[in-house]
Amino acid sequence: MRGLIKTLIGDARNLGCIAIITALAAALIASPARPFAGALIPLALLAAAAYLARR
Amino acid sequence: MSDLSVMIAAFLTAAVEWVEAFTIVLAVALAIGWQRAIAASLAALAVLAALTLFGASAISAIGNLRIAQFIIGIFLLLFGLRWLAKAIARGAGLKPLHDEAAAFAKLSASAALAERRGAMLVAFQGVLFEGLEVWLIVVALGVQTGHTAAAAAAAIAALLVVMAIGTALRAPLARVPENTIKFGVGCAILSFGTFWTLAALGYQWPLGDYSLPALLGFYAVGGLLLISAFKRPAAMAAR
Repeated sequence: MRGLIKTLIGDARNLGCIAIITALAAALIASPARPFAGALIPLALLAAAAYLARR
Repeated sequence: MSDLSVMIAAFLTAAVEWVEAFTIVLAVALAIGWQRAIAASLAALAVLAALTLFGASAISAIGNLRIAQFIIGIFLLLFGLRWLAKAIARGAGLKPLHDEAAAFAKLSASAALAERRGAMLVAFQGVLFEGLEVWLIVVALGVQTGHTAAAAAAAIAALLVVMAIGTALRAPLARVPENTIKFGVGCAILSFGTFWTLAALGYQWPLGDYSLPALLGFYAVGGLLLISAFKRPAAMAAR
């Protein structure tokens, strides 16, 4: 069961990054900054990849 | 989205995972014989096939298309981010590259293979856990694009290729460029995940489906720049 959960969501840091970025995406899309979501979210994901790679 | 792009992503993901699974099955086969190792592997593959049918029907049963798209998008983001981060870390030398020969040697020396039932369990769990990532990609990409059969066929083709080469060599497939494949698949899966998650939240991609190659290019270039940036401090520290 632990193997299944780890395969589906990874570790807590991975899950935390995606939770924060998804919340950011929802907030951006609901705000006047909506047109920038398509550029800002990939940037945030790349920053998260950089953070996770160094851990 | 074409059958081909889904099949390529599923084939490459599956190839990486089946190579790792083959290393485990080979170590078990040399300890307790091919017949038992293959029986345990087939049992794990049967569980994965049942999970694929269950997963595909469960997601298809969600009436709201946007909710299904959001769930699939989040799982792809979780998977793609993990693979890309791992490939960047290994590419930059922050983590050692995955070594199939070393993994094989370690498992072959393990006490778990000394007893027949324990060894069969190792083969079963190895194929099941490596196959779970294949399952996730087949179900997520397949259901979302309506190409589940094509994605499953690509994963089975990867299994047959790895088995054919592995059986012919009778050695761990240590020369597969695992990190390069992982980097490419990580970028592709992260692109699919970004595209579908934002679309499910109500974002209209300015280029429609053509935004996907743009996202793929962005993650690939960004990932390569990160590898190069992380390599420099490590090289300076080594001087």
